[in-house]
Amino acid sequence: MKLIYTDSLVVGAGLAGLRVAIASKERGLDTVVLSLIPAKRSHSAAAQGGMQASLGNTVKGMGDDEDIHFQDTVKGSDWGCDQEIARMFAHCAPKAVRELTNWGVPWTRVTKGPRQVVVNAEKVTIEEAEEAHGLINARDFGGTKKWRTCYTADGTGHSLLYAVDNKAISLGIPVHERVEALSLIHDGKRCQGVVARCLITGELRAYIAKSTTIATGGYGRIYEVSTNAIICEGIGQALALETGVAKLGNMEAVQFHPTAIVPVGILTTEGCRGDGGLLRDKDGHRFMPDYEPEKKELASRDVVSRRMTEHMRKGKGVDSPYGPHLWLDITLLGRKHVETNLREVKEICESFLGIDPAKDWIPVRPTQHYSMGGIRTDKTGQNPQLKGLFSVGEAACWDMHGFNRLGGNSLAETVVGGMIIGKYVADFCEENSLEVNTGLIESFVEKVRGEIDELIEGEGSENPFVLRKEMERIMMAYVGIFRNGPELEKAVSELQALLKRAKSLGLKCKKRHANPELVEALRVKRMLKVALTVACGAAARTESRGAHAREDFPQRNDKEWLNRTLASWPDENSLSPELSYEQLDVMKMELPPGYRGYGINNAIAHPDTDKREHEITQILSQLGDDADRHQRQHALMPFNVPESLMAKNERLNRTVSNEMPVGEQG
Amino acid sequence: MMSQGRTLTFNIFRYDPQQSGDKPKMVKYQIEETPGMSVFIALNQLREQQDSSLQFDFVCRAGICGSCAMVINGFPTLACRTLTSKYPKGEITLMPLPGFELIGDLSVNTGKFMRELAERLKLWLHPNLDDVDVHRLEAPMAPEEAAKLYELERCVECGVCVSACATKQMRETFVGAVGMMKLARFELDSRDQRGVEDFYHVIGNQDGVFGCMTLLGCQDNCPKDLPHMQQIAYLRRKMAVALV
Amino acid sequence: MTIKTLLPASSIPGLAGHPWSARADKIQSATGLLLGCFLLAHLHFESSILLGKEAFYQVVQILEGGMFSESGHGFPVLTQIFSVFILLVVILHAAVALRRFPAQLGQWRALRRHMNGINHKDTHAWFWQLVTGFILFFLAPVHIFTMITNPEIGPNLSAERVYLDNAWLLYALLLPAVVIHAMIGLYRVAIKWGLTANRSGLRKVAKFMIIYLLTIGMLSLVSYLFIGADLTIPVEPYIPH
Repeated sequence: MKLIYTDSLVVGAGLAGLRVAIASKERGLDTVVLSLIPAKRSHSAAAQGGMQASLGNTVKGMGDDEDIHFQDTVKGSDWGCDQEIARMFAHCAPKAVRELTNWGVPWTRVTKGPRQVVVNAEKVTIEEAEEAHGLINARDFGGTKKWRTCYTADGTGHSLLYAVDNKAISLGIPVHERVEALSLIHDGKRCQGVVARCLITGELRAYIAKSTTIATGGYGRIYEVSTNAIICEGIGQALALETGVAKLGNMEAVQFHPTAIVPVGILTTEGCRGDGGLLRDKDGHRFMPDYEPEKKELASRDVVSRRMTEHMRKGKGVDSPYGPHLWLDITLLGRKHVETNLREVKEICESFLGIDPAKDWIPVRPTQHYSMGGIRTDKTGQNPQLKGLFSVGEAACWDMHGFNRLGGNSLAETVVGGMIIGKYVADFCEENSLEVNTGLIESFVEKVRGEIDELIEGEGSENPFVLRKEMERIMMAYVGIFRNGPELEKAVSELQALLKRAKSLGLKCKKRHANPELVEALRVKRMLKVALTVACGAAARTESRGAHAREDFPQRNDKEWLNRTLASWPDENSLSPELSYEQLDVMKMELPPGYRGYGINNAIAHPDTDKREHEITQILSQLGDDADRHQRQHALMPFNVPESLMAKNERLNRTVSNEMPVGEQG
Repeated sequence: MMSQGRTLTFNIFRYDPQQSGDKPKMVKYQIEETPGMSVFIALNQLREQQDSSLQFDFVCRAGICGSCAMVINGFPTLACRTLTSKYPKGEITLMPLPGFELIGDLSVNTGKFMRELAERLKLWLHPNLDDVDVHRLEAPMAPEEAAKLYELERCVECGVCVSACATKQMRETFVGAVGMMKLARFELDSRDQRGVEDFYHVIGNQDGVFGCMTLLGCQDNCPKDLPHMQQIAYLRRKMAVALV
Repeated sequence: MTIKTLLPASSIPGLAGHPWSARADKIQSATGLLLGCFLLAHLHFESSILLGKEAFYQVVQILEGGMFSESGHGFPVLTQIFSVFILLVVILHAAVALRRFPAQLGQWRALRRHMNGINHKDTHAWFWQLVTGFILFFLAPVHIFTMITNPEIGPNLSAERVYLDNAWLLYALLLPAVVIHAMIGLYRVAIKWGLTANRSGLRKVAKFMIIYLLTIGMLSLVSYLFIGADLTIPVEPYIPH
């Protein structure tokens, strides 16, 4: 048995994981990162749009600050997020952007003077300020009041990941590539590391560490079609789940994007519809006006996804070997527009569909896009149930996204969360000693070894690829965009049947080293449990909130459901997770539940909402008139970040009166 | 729409270096083509339905991550965005990317290579200031410089340039296009403290720009259309006048 | 099939810039450029025979400094001196270009394997440059030595060399080798140092030049053969009317 000892162990080498590793290494801690793939191939690279941070350099972001970013984030979450986390996040986002500049990110900069932009499909000329020239630019994104999304051309995630990985290389942080964590080593209270398998040699290793940080991204691949990379399989969440102790939060909160291409599920930007593109069905009929006469194709993301699904269910989808789809028609925009303003869409269409979007319709359908749920953590990123287990990024339910994530906040969470949690992880490693219980380690390694033996030598005959496909189909059909009681029940029972079958998996390829079928088998068992927590959570939540849309319970119900779903799997042989709920305390909210601004306001109010609103008015009135926004915020909901991140953010301020002038901290 | 109902023939390189007695060989597989089929879809179908031991690497399957480079009918390229309809004869030969450690079949260890290269050439920003105050306004940068840097930063480390370079294949110690392109990127960056002498010490030799024979396999096969020719020429001119 | 793994290791311990590798690269390009330009001129002067004996005679007279000689026939010693100079340049060029040759069998195999596996035009072009370079290594000095030992040039004297001394055999091999080598070489020098970014245009020019130079070269050779066949022995130098 190979044992590897370290202080800070990070599972996953995407942006969040690497950022935590860097924070540990900078404190002089021994740090090891495990990754399925080379770090620079991580799914973080795919985030093209940008990351939100309220720098307010561009004229369209003028007057932006942490307060507005915070409000956008909370509203976007449909009040499902942890508001203190959203505050910590909004406060540190500008710092992360500026730090990354020094690590090499070539952020797109502001050019002074007039420039033409497209706002609401109309050409508008804006004038950038002289003093903003060369500062970090921002672009417009859905659901934000200001232009706040910092970007590097069309490859922000790529630039960030490369800069952060380069930083990790410069610090000499080892990344053990092609290694898959299969089990957490723990005694029910304290996490001591992981058992991992080398995907090349098949060797089993125990990594023993003071802290274990899971940063493995989302679980999009439990769905048949997802915009996620194929490695986003939810194994990190499964690791926590299989401890029987650690809890996952809000697993039913899964975001769908309306227009990913068929079959491969790669995203085409919302700009297609923003600029005037239409959705058509198999008869070429433009169907959105039938459902949403007012906003048509430009209704909000979740609404469009729901309507498209509804229409396909009526048999109006175009049949293809990859299932039904609809058409996105941007031919009416003209070749010039497509080739200049939607260049990326054109390239995707050419490379992956072999079509010319200036003359052909694009096959699209709503596709799984983001996992809001994940390993539940406290504010420091630590799992409340298992000491020493941390989680960060999309893998975690730190909970700044609640039930719906805002565009540009995912990439931001990786580096901002990584920055904050990284410091807490380092603190933890400094304050705690390594716990080594060889008997315990051995038992966990033996368990994984036994699992592999059983797969290779056992009598089982179930095909892992078949079970996987079946799971993906069930999730897609019954736990998708639209959910309802009977279908969710069906999903749960069918998934449970699959989980039973997964106990008798058998492999055709008997190799113990590099063996894709073995990898698939080990994963599908774990993925099924993750899928079940999603399905069970969705079945239990009898309301609609954010991306969780119940046809049979269309209202947001703050009265009964202003809470976070927690799921654990205490009995290994059980076929379903144990659900419990964590209430969100309205009396502590800076922004009590309100109207999100889409559709009709049909939410069932929480009894504390009025009370809290009243209290807020009172608190604010007690403050002197000279109280600045920071003091007002502090009076309502004090928050903490690590000491070195507490300082206020300096901004360029030109006209906004409640801020201090250029050069001073505001 | 694309042709339908064709039977595609895949000739795939098979070899498991860890399996004692295994010898490299080409194996033929047949598969029904479906509309919009890419090599990514085809390989996964083959693995799921015909041979579960078939090794290959995909991650983003969207042409972003650079994992899936392989040699397809003589051209090294990204398999995920190669459509089968591109091949009128329906015959597709897949070989692993040459020049990298073979893990098995079509899977090669590009990650290990790139990490070692980064360590050897110190491929990270060496900022003028070790620490910046992240609470203060950032230092301005010319918007044109930022745009130029991004253009050079689009490399996805897929390894195509290394495998397409006859110079690299003949001379193991040659840096290759990926290394030079990355150094060119840092050379251009006003935030990097390294001067021309520092770069000269790394690539001003037979293993660097003066070992390059300008065969341009790198530029002609780069899936990101990076300007290798101009950048390497630029470095060469710069190095040729430095310290000589 | 063999599996070969490359490592990004350095052959130079401690990593260092090598002034000599920079110099060698510059010398190779500069001498190549010089020889390429010389070849362009040489072949055109040579081909003046296509315009008749008179034209060729005049070209030779001018180049050998006929206007400065009392006889008006120029100084063949100029040809000798220039030939020695070209020989030195060729030697220098060959010496630095040798760095590029696959010196070991392993390298040659790697090259062949690479070319079998990867379909790439410029690499194939380089391969032909390599092959022609190898041929020139032997043929060019023979030609230049001839010019040093036997520098007389003229419509009849040259034809004598080509036809009666059987030098056409040498030229028939030398011409395609040198034309291909030089044109691909000039193309490569231009892109190597970034003299132009228009590679496809340059490629077309190089292709055209190869065909053009081979055509005029071959036609000249043929006309020397015809002239040579008509010569009476002993050969009298051509005297213009």
